[in-house]
Amino acid sequence: MILAVLFANAEGNILIERFHGVPAEERLHWRSFLVKLGADNLKGTRNEELLVACHKSVYIVYTVLGDVSIYVVGKDEYDELALSEVIFVITSAVKDVCGKTPSERVFLDKYGRICLCLDEIVWKGHLENTEKDRIKRLIRLKPPTEF
Amino acid sequence: MLNQQCEDRSVLRYVYYYLARILSDTGAQGLSTGGGIPTPNWDALADIDAVGGVTRADVVPRIVEQLTVAAKNSEFEFHARRLQSLKALTSAPSTNSEILSRLYEVVFGILEKVGDNPQKRKKGIFGAKGGDRDSIMRSNLQYGALSALRRLPLDPGNSAFLHYAVNGISFVDPVAVRQALEIVSELATRDPYSVAMALGKHVETGGALHDVLHLHDVLARVSLARLCCTISRARALDERPDIRSQFNSVLYQLLLDPSERVCFEAILCVLGKYDNNERTEERASGWYRLTREILKLPDASSKESSKDKSQKTKRPQPLIKLVLRRLESSFRSFSRPVLHAAARVVQEMGKSRAAAFSVGLQDVDEGAHVNTFAEAADFNDSDENAHPESIRRTASVSNANAGRDTIAGLLASLMEVVRTTVACECVYVRAMVIKALIWMQSPIDSFDELESIIASELSDPAWPAALLNDVLLTLHARFKASPDMAVTLLQIARIFATKVPGKVDADVLQLLWKTCLVGAGPDGKHKALEAVTIVLDLPPPQPGSMLGITSVDRVFASDPKSALALQKLVQAAVWFLGENANYAASEYAWESATPPGTALMMLDADKMVAAASSRNPTLAGALTRLQRCALGGSWEIRITAAQALTTMAIRSGEPFRLQIYEFLHTLAQGGLQTQFSDMHLSNGEDQGASGTGLGVLLSPMINVLDEMYRAQDDLIKEIRIHDNAKKEWTDDELKKLYETHERLLDLVSLFCYVPRAKYLPLGPTSAKLIDIYRSRHNISASTGLSDPAVATGISDLLYESKPAPAKLDTLDDDLVNAWAANLGDDGLWGNNAPAMNRVNEFLAGDGIDAPEVDEENMISRPSVSYDDMWAKTLLESSELEEDDARSMGSSSPDSTGSVETSISSHFGGMSYPSLFSSRPSATDKAASRGSGPSIYEGLGSPIREEPPPYSSPVTQRYGSFENPLAGNGSQSFESQDDERVSSGNPQFGSALYDFTAGGDDELSLTAGEEVEIEYEVDGWFYVKKKRPGRDGKMAGLVPVLYVNQS
Repeated sequence: MILAVLFANAEGNILIERFHGVPAEERLHWRSFLVKLGADNLKGTRNEELLVACHKSVYIVYTVLGDVSIYVVGKDEYDELALSEVIFVITSAVKDVCGKTPSERVFLDKYGRICLCLDEIVWKGHLENTEKDRIKRLIRLKPPTEF
Repeated sequence: MLNQQCEDRSVLRYVYYYLARILSDTGAQGLSTGGGIPTPNWDALADIDAVGGVTRADVVPRIVEQLTVAAKNSEFEFHARRLQSLKALTSAPSTNSEILSRLYEVVFGILEKVGDNPQKRKKGIFGAKGGDRDSIMRSNLQYGALSALRRLPLDPGNSAFLHYAVNGISFVDPVAVRQALEIVSELATRDPYSVAMALGKHVETGGALHDVLHLHDVLARVSLARLCCTISRARALDERPDIRSQFNSVLYQLLLDPSERVCFEAILCVLGKYDNNERTEERASGWYRLTREILKLPDASSKESSKDKSQKTKRPQPLIKLVLRRLESSFRSFSRPVLHAAARVVQEMGKSRAAAFSVGLQDVDEGAHVNTFAEAADFNDSDENAHPESIRRTASVSNANAGRDTIAGLLASLMEVVRTTVACECVYVRAMVIKALIWMQSPIDSFDELESIIASELSDPAWPAALLNDVLLTLHARFKASPDMAVTLLQIARIFATKVPGKVDADVLQLLWKTCLVGAGPDGKHKALEAVTIVLDLPPPQPGSMLGITSVDRVFASDPKSALALQKLVQAAVWFLGENANYAASEYAWESATPPGTALMMLDADKMVAAASSRNPTLAGALTRLQRCALGGSWEIRITAAQALTTMAIRSGEPFRLQIYEFLHTLAQGGLQTQFSDMHLSNGEDQGASGTGLGVLLSPMINVLDEMYRAQDDLIKEIRIHDNAKKEWTDDELKKLYETHERLLDLVSLFCYVPRAKYLPLGPTSAKLIDIYRSRHNISASTGLSDPAVATGISDLLYESKPAPAKLDTLDDDLVNAWAANLGDDGLWGNNAPAMNRVNEFLAGDGIDAPEVDEENMISRPSVSYDDMWAKTLLESSELEEDDARSMGSSSPDSTGSVETSISSHFGGMSYPSLFSSRPSATDKAASRGSGPSIYEGLGSPIREEPPPYSSPVTQRYGSFENPLAGNGSQSFESQDDERVSSGNPQFGSALYDFTAGGDDELSLTAGEEVEIEYEVDGWFYVKKKRPGRDGKMAGLVPVLYVNQS
């Protein structure tokens, strides 16, 4: 289960969040935990360099992409490596949509499309589509494989 | 909008997105009542946008209706929208059965049309590029339907469900295949047999499962690994070894997978870790598999993949080699997730290995062992020089040695790589590596390296506390897996305690100590003692670490927080030592090895110490350490140490008791010892008029011991008189003796738990006389409920609301059996352990639970009750003591756990209901009848002799203050004065025993007196007598247990 996907800006404000199977009262803890984790560790990391953390049996993989930091939290089959796959798909989709490494402004410009991408990538707590082309087609309401 | 012909697909896509969000919103919306969420709730936007003022309840059915229709629409133009509709529908929460049933209907409908198309399968796989419109549409629909199915709850009994899922494995769309595999592998955990049957031909060489091996989808292969693992381990398939081996071979092939994720998953599966239940046998056989089995590649795959590895591996490869090499190369990766995962895999490997060690490998099938092993050994001989060193396990087969040594060599090189990974800059990776190292540490290896790694790691301030405690818990788990590592693990724990006291949770540490001590105990004496010696070497008492503390004083000065924390840890350790030293040393006054009569012979202090240490070095060592702490620690530590000493004095036989007694005296009077000791200067505290400043605290403790010795002296005098006069003991004399005995027991019980039935405060010589009196008066040795120490000792100490008698019986049986069997030391160990375990559970439980409770309660309780209790018995002014007691409580809130137990398990017992204030004492009268009153007897009994007025009412009042939630069960006495109106319907009873009022509210009773019970409160009856007693009182409170309700 991918428990959470979270985008935050450099100040630690949350831009997008998607929780799956996390009770509402725990979300707050996760938000602050993740943001703090990023504040502590993300300074000076290269774009798309993956960082890892774990908390009990829950794994966290996070990275920074331009002005935006991305956190993915998962457990069970979504361990650090599976989450790295997920975050890889997400970053490449975001880069695709934004056309470059996103500044916060560009990110917010493309907010809707990014949401749609995310929707195609993570569907109810599971990784769904991984291929760029497929995602691109799907967010334009086209079938996943072209005729 | 869905109905309109919208040309802009992108806009339409957003519509579907929002519809999905609306459908999925319920869960969050329903839950977030009251939970303030500061960040903008983006989800809410969905509502506003799409609905605009209309409530969700109105729209949801319409949306569902629309989407269902759309999902069923099979027109070509509608194809993409159909998929999106299906997807949006699955966003509905799975609690909505109506939507679910519609979804099942839709999905099965689609799958029925597009699912079964076996002739298309081959084409799909090899010709995915081209293909006509129909087949592409079909594959899209397959994808959509399976993805939807994946999001639906599993339906294990449904054969159609399984059928479609299994068919899905051979679909064209890779994502669909992944979803199908995930579904099937989940189903397999529930019903492996039918899944295996359904998969029948897929698993054969060239079947769909083998195609998955080359599928470019990592998660699909991960699911495949899980599936294979589940089926190949399934008990239900014991009859079909062929099927199991087929799945097994697929699993082993996955070990060669280029993706780390898949390979690691396969390794974990091989190791026997595939769900969260840890089963030792599974793990052990997992390790066995890993070390013994070999991978034979089927021809198909070696020709197919052109990777360098598989060309080499045409020869069968032992799994262990593959795996270890793979791990080694992973550890060279720069990616932190990979490092973390690899370390985790090593950790799991360690777990399996530990399990194999603990199982002993005898259970493993010997035939398979030899067969596979012969091949493996051949292989090893051919390309690997045998490592003659370090035979790790007791060998059962001769030719196994070569292979095992190879394993040892491989492991050693792997561990070398693992160790270097500690240099990673990410603490989480390092933590995982350390955990892996802890798990891979075997009991026989030296752990110097690990120790130094951990020690140097801990100096890094970057470690978050949570992570450190996590590592400590790993130690705990490691200990459970192999108890003989207690020593090593405790040493590691000590590093934590001394290096990072501020970050380590004292409770976690105590838990570790306790389990190591108790857990190792019953297994064998030597193990326990081994563990014990380490416990005794724990931070505070140990000279080395004392030095450490002083030498790092400068460092700590800059970090007062950790200095404080260290003090707390030291305190915890001192307390632990006091509580458990007797258990560890198996020295109890009531099971003393010293023959009766020799007790008071050795009065010379030097001789005493010598004799003591020769008889029981463990206890003597503990004693010395505690004495040192009592002299030299900080204020709190000295207090705790004094209490610990008292506990030991009470529990140990001679000469230890005398030794402690003497020491306490010296301490109280501030004799020469403190002047000679310059240690007390270091803490810079005012030592007080009494020299150590402990006088106030010590005097009650010394009083108890005084009383005991005085009574013993009296007894000996009496015995002599009787012997000389050749007189029989009269009943009155015996009664007096017995009363003294009981009174002393009560007194002693205030300080620590002792088994009442066995404990002889008057010394072993009194046993006979007391027995005589008991048998004459039909008082059973374990006087059941009226035995306050036992009643509180057991029922309250365990805080179980079960009626006390059940507990009693078991305890007494244990002790009595042990006693009756009169076994040697070893026997007593075993028999005694359960009882002591229970005590220790309580004690440790107390230490562990306490800090989580409201701290104010904790602070006020021990000081107040303590002080009230002894207010009258102390020579010093009570004001002074109050200050002391309070400072004791407030300056170290965490210490109260220890203060509480060692001073007053009774007060503790009384206060526990307030610890568990969720437990409504009003409704809990039955339980409180069992435990509550006996507490007060404990209180009341010493008061009989020297009655400090107010003590009981005051303490009880405090109890009720602390427990405001408890309702009328613990009304304060003030309020009772007003409400003391008979509640009608009076009950009658008779006094079972004499009871002397301990306060103004209480009523003295003489045994046999008839009383009318007005009401019960917190373990007390408010009763009325028929006629006024000697004190002229008619009504008042008496302990429930003193009255027999008729």
